[in-house]
Amino acid sequence: MATRMPKHGVNRRTLLKAAAATGALQVAGPFIIAARGEEPVKIGLDNPLTGTYAAVGKNELIGCQLALEQINAKGGILGRQAELLVEDSTSGDAGTAVQKARKLIERDKVNFLLGNVNSALALAMADVSSEKGVLHIVPGGHTDAVTGATCHWNVFRVCNTTQMEANAVTPTLIKNAGKKWYFITPDYAFGHTLQAGLEKAGGKAGYTKVGGDLTPLGTTDFSSYLIKAQAANPDVIIFLTQGDDMINALKQAVQFGLDKRFHLAGGQQELEALEGLPPEARIGTWVFEWYWNQPNVPHVKDFVDAIKKKTGRVPTARTWFGFASTWSCALAANEAKSLDAVKMAKALSGLKLPPEVSLMPDQAFYRVGQNQLIPNLFVGQAQAKGSAPDDLFKVTEVVKGTDAAGTLEETGCKMKWPV
Amino acid sequence: MTQLLLFNVFNGLIVGAFYALMALGLSLILNLSGVINFAHGGFLALGAYIAYTLIPYVGFWGGLAIAPFATAAVGIVVEWALIRRLYGRDPLYSLLLTFGLAYIFEDVLRAIWGAQSVPYPIPPELSTPLSSQFFFLTGYRLFMVGLAALVVLALFLILNRTRLGMRIRAGTADLETVSVLGINVRILRTLNFGLGIYLAGLAGVLAAGMLGLQPTIGTSLIMPSFVAIIVGGLGSLPGTLLGGLLIGLAAGITAVFFPSATEAVMYVMMGLVLLVRPRGLLGEEGRVS
Repeated sequence: MATRMPKHGVNRRTLLKAAAATGALQVAGPFIIAARGEEPVKIGLDNPLTGTYAAVGKNELIGCQLALEQINAKGGILGRQAELLVEDSTSGDAGTAVQKARKLIERDKVNFLLGNVNSALALAMADVSSEKGVLHIVPGGHTDAVTGATCHWNVFRVCNTTQMEANAVTPTLIKNAGKKWYFITPDYAFGHTLQAGLEKAGGKAGYTKVGGDLTPLGTTDFSSYLIKAQAANPDVIIFLTQGDDMINALKQAVQFGLDKRFHLAGGQQELEALEGLPPEARIGTWVFEWYWNQPNVPHVKDFVDAIKKKTGRVPTARTWFGFASTWSCALAANEAKSLDAVKMAKALSGLKLPPEVSLMPDQAFYRVGQNQLIPNLFVGQAQAKGSAPDDLFKVTEVVKGTDAAGTLEETGCKMKWPV
Repeated sequence: MTQLLLFNVFNGLIVGAFYALMALGLSLILNLSGVINFAHGGFLALGAYIAYTLIPYVGFWGGLAIAPFATAAVGIVVEWALIRRLYGRDPLYSLLLTFGLAYIFEDVLRAIWGAQSVPYPIPPELSTPLSSQFFFLTGYRLFMVGLAALVVLALFLILNRTRLGMRIRAGTADLETVSVLGINVRILRTLNFGLGIYLAGLAGVLAAGMLGLQPTIGTSLIMPSFVAIIVGGLGSLPGTLLGGLLIGLAAGITAVFFPSATEAVMYVMMGLVLLVRPRGLLGEEGRVS
């Protein structure tokens, strides 16, 4: 096939193109918020803004931004203004996430690193942050290893482990939906550990596993799995898929009328997924990691109003993850009276989040020896209509994190501090 | 077990019909213009979002009627402004262009409609199963298969019975001669591109009824379409149709025996076809696009 070679030399058009590209670069670069004062304290967020996890990543970012505004309004970190540097880690490319983490640490010299939604990316970033000795907070990557087998002194996590979620939801699941379970599980670390967690917790309560399928991540058509699931005749089909996979699976199960023959339920559920579902598919027993409708808990309403003012929508668990993570940076530095990572990590270990950050009945705290936040978990039912258009979940039980977390030995974390 | 298998065979054909619908649009464009349209998934998502925006005003059926045409209009503009400039060049150029366009589409959709999935309503009379025994035969899925069959039939009629179709087929076989005979190849390619994108828009509107509608909805659907074309054979539209049905069927049967491999099985199939019969099942001998 004929190939025309481009002409050499710079003409008017080339110059125009170059100018346009330079303009685009400025838009594409990381954006920086609230850069005032001489030398601001820097927080680097390396989280998905594109791809499968773009929606949840965006919500975590909004939580970070609100926390940053509050921190600066209250005098900043150690009297200095704080700023947030944001990088798109992509949703699944560990290479990009690691490269962005290195850029934030080496070139931007951030004092704190935040990320990642994707568990695998969170683990890869943790390798970088611990090599560089930077305080690292994982807002929303759930796989157990982050604060388990591969825990690090400098890596803290806000969201729950999959085992904690399984322990919290299992009693209600058995009570509401029955003991014969069929699993629809996404075929990657998160799904595997969540299913293992549920089997462990269910085993204590006498459940029976009548079957289960591993579904590839990004499955669009769940019909063949649903045909198998109904043939096994379970009490409940347990959906452990997340995000778009959760929406596709539940939507199709309800269109098939399976909700009229079996219970449809699962482990972790998120407001982002329920909002994407048609009303008739907002059903089942689940666990939420944070929920906005907590009428009797102080400060929650202020937080909800502040987020609504920013985005027009209520905060989700993801918004709170970002919020609590960013506040944890400020709390660690102000408690340690230093920006030294080891001193800050020691201060954060065991620290109780203040009520205006914790935003749940029992104050959440970072467990010593594991660096895992131990919060409340919200077990309940998805609902088509609630007190408000965004009220899609009815909390029936608030589980104490200390009851769901298990022992430190069970987590497999053997913490080593630098000498 | 027999029943399970039978159910999954039927179900696989339904899914396959949908793959075929998407793959036909890709195949049309590839055959006449030699463009591997990586942005097809982006057009698919665009069609779904246009329908989503229109539904409150014109209802589900109005959205279904209008959105694919609107998507085709955008497609024609994109072809006219960008893609046609690369026709004379190595296919790699247009591949890179459409690859970039796919990302641009995703980000533009995200900027307009948000990153989060939106609930996409389908008429209640279509959203229930016809019987509890054959629960996977919902009104919507049957409607989808019926519509896909109708569109495929219409497409074959257009290609075989109309002057435009004759020119598209002639151009696919030998574009230079067609051009020498005084047919405006530029307009032919533009119309053909529009037709392909119409099919993408239609597939998008239909997909949104079964899946969550979010900016990446096309990305996960586009790979099976490429595989369908390769399995069926480059240059052959009946081959593409067959390829779509076959990979749907293979995924359905695999789900019974080895569920975590439902995605992998179509690539295995593609590999086998390439090894044993490189031109694809119904592909023409010696054709390299």
